[in-house]
Amino acid sequence: MGDKNTPLLAVLQLLRKYNLKGTEDILRKEASLGDVEYENLDLPEVELASILTAHHTESDPYSYEFAYDTLKKFVENSLDINKHELSTLLYPVFVHMYLLLIIYDHNEHAVNFLEKFGTEQEDYCQEDLKRLSIVKHKDQIKGNELAEIYSTNKFVVQLSRDASSQLKRFLHEQKSSTVIINIINNHIQVEVHDGPGRTQAQVRATTGGILGEATRNENRTKVYYGLLKEPDIQVLPAPVEDEEEVEETPDKPKKKKAKKDNIFMKKPKSDPNAPPNDRIPLPELKETDKIEKGKALREASKRIQLGPESLPSICFYTLLNSGHTAVCTDICDDSTLLAVGFSNSHIKVWTLTPVKLRGMKSAEKLQDIDREAGDVLVRMMEEKDRDTCRTLYGHSGSVYKVAFDPFKTLLLSCSEDSTVRLWSLQCWTCLVVYRGHVWPVWDVRWSPHGHYFVSAGHDRTARLWATDHHQPLRIFSGHLSDVDCVQFHPNSNYVATGSSDRTVRLWDCLTGTQVRIMTGHKSTIFTLAFSVCGRWLASGGSAGELLVFDISTGSPSALLPPLHTAPIHALAFSRDGTVLSSGSLDCTIKLWDFAAITEEANGEEAGANNSIQKEEKFLLRSFATKNSPIKGLHFTRRNLLLAVGSYEGSA
Amino acid sequence: MGDSEFVYGSSLSLDSMKVIAESIGIGALGDDAAKELADDVTFRLKVIVQDSMKFMHHSKRQKLSITDIDNALKIKNIECQYGFIQPDSLPFRFASGGGRELHFIEEKEVDLSEILSAPPPKIPLDVSVRAHWLSVDGVQPTVPENPPPLSKEAQKLESVDPISKLSKPTNKDAAGKPMCGKAARLKASESVHVKQLATHELSVEQQLYYKEITEACVGSDEGRRAEALQSLSCDPGLHEMLPRMCTFISEGVKVNVVQNNLALLIYLMRMVKALLDNQSLYLEKYLHELIPSVSTCIVSRQLCLRPEMDNHWALRDFAARLMAQICKTFNTSTNNLQTRVTRLFAKALQCPSQTNNESGVGPSMVTTMKESEKTPLASLYGAVQGLAELGPEVVKVFILPRVRWLGERVEGALSGLGGADRLAAGNLKHQLLKVLAPVVRQLRQPPDLSDDYKRDYGYLGPSLHQAVAKIRSSPSAGGSGGAVAVVTCTPPLVPSAPSPQQSHITHTPKTVETVASRNVVISASPAPQSPAPSTPPPQKFVIVSQQKPPQVINTQPASGAGHIMVHSSQPTLVRSQNSVVVTSGPASGAAPPQKVVVVGVQPSHHQASISAPGQVSQAPVSVVAKPVFARGSGGPQAPPELDDLSHLA
Repeated sequence: MGDKNTPLLAVLQLLRKYNLKGTEDILRKEASLGDVEYENLDLPEVELASILTAHHTESDPYSYEFAYDTLKKFVENSLDINKHELSTLLYPVFVHMYLLLIIYDHNEHAVNFLEKFGTEQEDYCQEDLKRLSIVKHKDQIKGNELAEIYSTNKFVVQLSRDASSQLKRFLHEQKSSTVIINIINNHIQVEVHDGPGRTQAQVRATTGGILGEATRNENRTKVYYGLLKEPDIQVLPAPVEDEEEVEETPDKPKKKKAKKDNIFMKKPKSDPNAPPNDRIPLPELKETDKIEKGKALREASKRIQLGPESLPSICFYTLLNSGHTAVCTDICDDSTLLAVGFSNSHIKVWTLTPVKLRGMKSAEKLQDIDREAGDVLVRMMEEKDRDTCRTLYGHSGSVYKVAFDPFKTLLLSCSEDSTVRLWSLQCWTCLVVYRGHVWPVWDVRWSPHGHYFVSAGHDRTARLWATDHHQPLRIFSGHLSDVDCVQFHPNSNYVATGSSDRTVRLWDCLTGTQVRIMTGHKSTIFTLAFSVCGRWLASGGSAGELLVFDISTGSPSALLPPLHTAPIHALAFSRDGTVLSSGSLDCTIKLWDFAAITEEANGEEAGANNSIQKEEKFLLRSFATKNSPIKGLHFTRRNLLLAVGSYEGSA
Repeated sequence: MGDSEFVYGSSLSLDSMKVIAESIGIGALGDDAAKELADDVTFRLKVIVQDSMKFMHHSKRQKLSITDIDNALKIKNIECQYGFIQPDSLPFRFASGGGRELHFIEEKEVDLSEILSAPPPKIPLDVSVRAHWLSVDGVQPTVPENPPPLSKEAQKLESVDPISKLSKPTNKDAAGKPMCGKAARLKASESVHVKQLATHELSVEQQLYYKEITEACVGSDEGRRAEALQSLSCDPGLHEMLPRMCTFISEGVKVNVVQNNLALLIYLMRMVKALLDNQSLYLEKYLHELIPSVSTCIVSRQLCLRPEMDNHWALRDFAARLMAQICKTFNTSTNNLQTRVTRLFAKALQCPSQTNNESGVGPSMVTTMKESEKTPLASLYGAVQGLAELGPEVVKVFILPRVRWLGERVEGALSGLGGADRLAAGNLKHQLLKVLAPVVRQLRQPPDLSDDYKRDYGYLGPSLHQAVAKIRSSPSAGGSGGAVAVVTCTPPLVPSAPSPQQSHITHTPKTVETVASRNVVISASPAPQSPAPSTPPPQKFVIVSQQKPPQVINTQPASGAGHIMVHSSQPTLVRSQNSVVVTSGPASGAAPPQKVVVVGVQPSHHQASISAPGQVSQAPVSVVAKPVFARGSGGPQAPPELDDLSHLA
């Protein structure tokens, strides 16, 4: 049976089905079909349908180019005030047209279509288009992550009321082609917001997510971003903040700045944004933990106030002879231990102070110890067995993240072998293996209060765990692609996740729901850091861009100039919250004036909406290393910046 | 088929599929099948590469590795590809034939027994942690662990194109002074943007370093000197101190030439060598200070107190080598460095016989000849050495034509009475033979006749003949050290270099007008610029002055001890040929006890040796340490006495 005749036969079959004899005869004559073919008209119902739908207007490959061109012209000719918002429509329409062309088997046309209009799309879409361009056949859509995301989800476009009515009018006029109308109805969610159309910069600041912008409704929930009331500690010296205040008085402009920063630190009791202390059950502090906390406070009182005029000193720890094997690093809170995870699946812990690492005595010997003795903790440690470096074996794949617990007794690690392991820093053995993730685990972080931790991985989920449960307490799912990084909020009530779908999401640990979705990144997010006050979230992406989000509104408050040329893998806030440091694979550490960033964001709130300014004034300094990509950053309690990188040989 | 789709990815070609099919035993793969396969394989490969990128990123790398691919296969439940290792680069070989082109990786057969019997490879070094300060209070210290604050390229760019620095005034990346504190406030308050002055402030540490280094370099402790020179030649981040270092060297040379302090001159030249060797420095901006100093050490008439005893020849050799190194490194078409240096040396070899022939008219003729003849043998030696280091072509053009006259000078001195002169003449002769022999060997055809040589080269003919014969007979067929070394740096031969005659013609009228009296006043503050180790009195006066008849012309650049007349930066503007006034003191401007050195010479143009050492009145300076320096290699140092012997041999 000739291919050419198949549609005709299908039509004949349809006519016969509906008993339209006259038409059938005319068609037969006109098409001069033989009786033989006419006799065996028994196309299956499904095939019949597919052949007939192929004759729907959408199957005409030329109508797509025309329709897209019309839409483009409409956007170009629209008022300036609406133009930028409307232009966000182009990309999703373009993508779905491409996918439709593929679905209707017009593969050649699809390729041509992509060639013709692909380069016109925004630069940050090009990466996705490249990934999408792999799909060249109907069957391949199913296996392609990106194509599946597009076909099963709705792309969010935010339009002002004016713009959306203009769009409606335009669509109404387009009677000839239903292509665009169908795509917009089926695959695009138009969010109408009150207020004037946004400028190009404003639009650009929030677009970039795989599915467009975050909708405002999703960010309505109140987030308690304030800090918890710290339990009183006996050894507490004079409050740290007061001391700083005294120091600052001679410098007038600085004082104003400092006041704003310290708002949350100074009045933890009356902070309206703080969650109740018992919102999340937190573990009781042990006696030793209290001592540690007291130490931390004493140290903090000796802290150096940082600012644009007093930059921190940086001590750089270079890992020699590691080549590409060193993957991740962490430094414990009191800056005495350094842990490094390697691609050959082991973990090394170094001491950074003259105090050597000691193991615990064997079980038999432990029995002999008087448990009531005051120095029982010292007595139970082995005396002879000391080392400056210890190795932990157990994983069976690259270790992607190591993390010290706040009290320096435990270590968490996650690996390509899809497990999370808990290690004891006293016995130097593995205590628990947490299985739950199906695929490699990319990141794991402790809650600032210990006990809880959160992990994230290739299975597109983040999971909240407690150390005493072998199963996750919460599973945060919703990301459309890998969850690449997680971070606990300083008050332990929230978890932030960054993903390859280029969104940052904030999850409530209590309810397990998503409370914020923040767009604006144009590339995969690799690292997150909460500001000390808990209101801001800094995130670094694979293209070297750095964003600061305001948790209270969920909008990006500052897009720092993209001065890094390689993925950012390390972010750290100074302990007083005035300096943000970023470390990148381009072998530089950059220091940003965070006080100025937040001040500007606050100032803007009073005036216009979130307008973004790319100003280089935020950058304080940049320090380059000799070919040592930065893999970890850490501020000591006294505001000395420690950085870790592995030397990769002279170029 | 992948050509047109360059932007959105390429795909495997049908041919590749067919080749792959062939390699696994499927002979004839149809075009349709190949296309179908190619599309599918491309898709799958790309998906795998996309996934493996995730692993690459999470391993914090920017280079995809085989383990990333393996991991990506693993999460797709596909077995890993075993047995691949990742060398640093994949050497794709290319082959074509039968209308087909192939790229492949050459796989060599490995003999297992060989591997098994071989000694096990060394265990790789264990990972270790090392700490250093990346920044101290916002300033990056210049320690070897940190990248050099200003890369050599940047320094080079700055000296070649100074505007580039102005165009990006706030370069926060370069770790200089941070824009904080006073500087920042200053910048904010001043709205008028003027050209930024170069900051020459040195930190306290840098000042200490400068003091330590300069003291060690000219001090008596050989061990410390070695360390100091090592530091100068290796440490990054010296560029801020470079102006001071160069001034120190140039002032030191000026003072010590007058005082004939050989040891210190040698130390200073070693400093120059160390700075030249430093990979992170670009010295072009300071050549105007360094070249006069170095050339002084090559052609100065007297460099030591006892010319008959001390080995100042080694210093001249060493400095000549430095000069050649400078020329080689910094010569560009714009600064014409090598041309100018060559001209300088050639002028020292000005041959009076030729001037007589060409321009010898008028009353000045006789005096010209006499003045030129007074060019000391030591200076001639230096000039010859300096030219020799610049390559055989230079030797051929500038030394060979003058060999007859040089021979006369040597002959005269050898037959004379002065011990020092005889020694000098011997050295000069030896050096000439050493330099000329390889060149002459190239120039002349084998039948060497002693008479021809005598006729062509005058007094030196017979000796040259012997030397050439010796080289020809020796199997290695190379000249001795210097000549061979410079073959590689054959100069882009000085097209604008005037021939001696022309230069003289143009030169003569000019110098007639120049100042008649030569006087040198060098004043330098005693410490630390004055490296003379034994100058106990706070003030010392040595006065040098030379009275000459006004018609005295054509002074040799190197005829006077204090006459340093190389101004490399300004070829046309030769500062008053006959007098150099140098003052140096601390930048603060305060008036410290100054030392003025003035050397006086009797006004007599017919006196044979106008500035013989005996007539220079000056305080004796004792040489503290034996001058020891490494020749070129910087390795273990041979005492100059040995060099001396080799010269005389």
